[in-house]
Amino acid sequence: MAIFIVHVTIENKPGISDPEGETILNDLVLKGTTSTVTKIKSAKMLQFTIKEKDKKSAKIKVQNICDELRIYNPMVSKITIDVFDA
Amino acid sequence: MSLESGELDDLTLKIGRKPTSTELQIVAAEWSEHCSYKSSKKHLKMLPMKGPLVISEKGYDSGVLDVGDGYVITAHIESHNHPSAVEPYGGAATGVGGVIRDILSAGTRPIAIFNGLRFGDIEKDLHARWLFKNAVKGIADYGNCLGIPTIGGEVEFDKCYSNYALVDVAAIGFGKKKNLIKNHAKTGDIVVLLGGATGRDGIGGSQFASDSLESENRSAVQIPDPFIEKLIIEAILEARTENLIHALKDLGGGGLSCAVSETADALSIGIEMDVDKVHTRELNMNPDEIMVSESQERMLIVTSNDKLKKLEGICKKYRITCSVIGHVTLDNMMHVKKGEKTCANLPTDVVANATLLDRPSKKPAYLENIENEKKLKPILDYTKMMMKFIASPNIASKIWVYGQYDHEVGIRTVVKPGKDASVLRLDNGKFLSAKIDGNPKHCYINPREGAIGCFEEACRNVVCTGAKPIGMLDHLQFGNPENPEIFWTFLESLKGITDFAKYFEIPCVGGKVSLYNETPSGQIKPTPIIGILGLIDKTPLSTQNISKGDCIVIVGQTKNEMGGSEYFEYIHKFIGGKCPTVNFLESKINMNSVLNVITKGLVKAAHDCSKGGLAVAVSELCMTYQIGCNISLEKVPNQKLDVDRILFSESHSRYLLVLEKKDLKKLETLLKKSKVEYNVIGVFGGDHIRFNKESKNIIDLSVDKSQKIWFNSLKELVLHG
Repeated sequence: MAIFIVHVTIENKPGISDPEGETILNDLVLKGTTSTVTKIKSAKMLQFTIKEKDKKSAKIKVQNICDELRIYNPMVSKITIDVFDA
Repeated sequence: MSLESGELDDLTLKIGRKPTSTELQIVAAEWSEHCSYKSSKKHLKMLPMKGPLVISEKGYDSGVLDVGDGYVITAHIESHNHPSAVEPYGGAATGVGGVIRDILSAGTRPIAIFNGLRFGDIEKDLHARWLFKNAVKGIADYGNCLGIPTIGGEVEFDKCYSNYALVDVAAIGFGKKKNLIKNHAKTGDIVVLLGGATGRDGIGGSQFASDSLESENRSAVQIPDPFIEKLIIEAILEARTENLIHALKDLGGGGLSCAVSETADALSIGIEMDVDKVHTRELNMNPDEIMVSESQERMLIVTSNDKLKKLEGICKKYRITCSVIGHVTLDNMMHVKKGEKTCANLPTDVVANATLLDRPSKKPAYLENIENEKKLKPILDYTKMMMKFIASPNIASKIWVYGQYDHEVGIRTVVKPGKDASVLRLDNGKFLSAKIDGNPKHCYINPREGAIGCFEEACRNVVCTGAKPIGMLDHLQFGNPENPEIFWTFLESLKGITDFAKYFEIPCVGGKVSLYNETPSGQIKPTPIIGILGLIDKTPLSTQNISKGDCIVIVGQTKNEMGGSEYFEYIHKFIGGKCPTVNFLESKINMNSVLNVITKGLVKAAHDCSKGGLAVAVSELCMTYQIGCNISLEKVPNQKLDVDRILFSESHSRYLLVLEKKDLKKLETLLKKSKVEYNVIGVFGGDHIRFNKESKNIIDLSVDKSQKIWFNSLKELVLHG
């Protein structure tokens, strides 16, 4: 068993609008001196510290937790899971 | 999405050729039950819609009532059931957004939001709890961001809504009569789309709402953006004041398809538009997608070329996008182009008016024996039972819900949520009282009497604030209308509402029908919701402290009507019995007499007896005002009933009045004169709520202890299970 850090990024699915990201882009970033930014997407990230036998099982475990506990709503959001060594 | 097979033939026959793919999409959206009301429209005509205060204009999405001194109020009710059942936060929030734009489209400023929420059994069902929690949050976030107070509503839980949600939202607007938008258009006028960009979200929403909810695998989710909505409100109102708007329509179910075809049909014009001109959020959207997308926060405006510059200036100021998407023509056609290419060219009356249906109806078999009662287990300890009862989700205080809503923003709210009805201050010195009510448990047992009961209850609630009912909104929510038994319950409820409205001369100023409310486990109970608007000319009955020695009077008779009561269903787990019925004459006499004594300033507080019966109504008064009381049950006017029936029967037309002892004589004289059935049933004082029969104590609750439970149990249940 080893310790892994698992990042779960929850964001709106492509094609679904993201008022928060758009507001940050239009009302903050583009209002400043930067003009090279073209898009900002907002997301929520959860960081799990988990003890599992390898990266693969850590990923599966976290995916199951998120699905079962409705940590995100699959109708609206998608999640991306990244696993790192602790 | 597609048309039903008969409808495709119908369309082909009407236009004399095979429809194009875009035409199919447009017509499928507009002919869906959600947009066309094809099952219900024929019957809705029976409702009385006219009255001395009603102002009706073509193309209004909301009802308009004249409240005097050059002011009007507008009101509308909508539901967002299907979207909320799959994505409660966004679904409930966008529901609020939609109904607010309906208020806006008459040219009035939205000043209040109401909501009626119904979910499965949250005590056992975790999914129902998740839906409830998130729908409340969605409404709160959206309303609070907009700065519009959410001032009332109702929450109910019933197993029939398992895996589903009924989210009803009503809104009230206020404005000057001279500022109302008189929808009109002439050839050469231009059509402008204003607000959020069009994306792929919510495609097929109206069709989705017209199908049964079989699985979650749908893409009709809409994302709320209250900040754009707020900018739209301000931009539209400014454009209205500057007289820049000829006609205005909100984009709701069916998106551009419905807004364009309905505007054209209502104004007897044609509209030619180009989908390439629509500002989109995503690349490569095809014409079909643009026409039926239900992206939120958009409005359609008809204006003239010379006013465009000013309108664009306002949009720029509020940083919202507007694009000229087309112009008005004479030919009564809805002509959709992509550049030079024609995608659709249809007569607007064909698009906007689906062939209405005459659905068969049949009395449901389950009603045959529903009024028979079974033998109930006797209650040994009513005090213990009462403690459980006031903690139950349907009876417990809803403060956890309305505590999340800003109900004071706008400083109009003079009577706040948690009372019978909320009251708003209007600019002409008058007050507006409003309430929405539903009761699916009664309606299941008797769709007609149940619906009338909801109507009367909503009236009672506004009467308790000292207001006279002036207008009604109805929202009829039923299961699948293709099932004759379901359709029968729809017709019965509608007939009941019509009869009551006619008898009391309360016009129906707006409404909505939502059908196909069913889940994998079956149809929902019939759930008509009635919203009542009441007007107070002078001062509303506002909160005064109840003190020791004050008397409590009940008006109205308690009858043996236990069917659909919380007591039967929650305590005895029994669905059946005879549901409460309203005697129209008795109802009118009681309502007028109570209004009379409130107007004369004789009472300190008035409260209606409804869910949970007399026992709950009295306890609510005691817990709200934190004072005990002694009630003598033998003094309650009744039909020689057993103790539990006097306590828990939900008979209508009953009011509790609280007054100082010195005013009792005056009150009795007035009540006697109007031949109302009433009696003094107890006095306030002490710190216990006691119900006695003759000299025997039946219930004895500590005010403090019960108040804590009543206030906190719903929150505890939602947050900690």
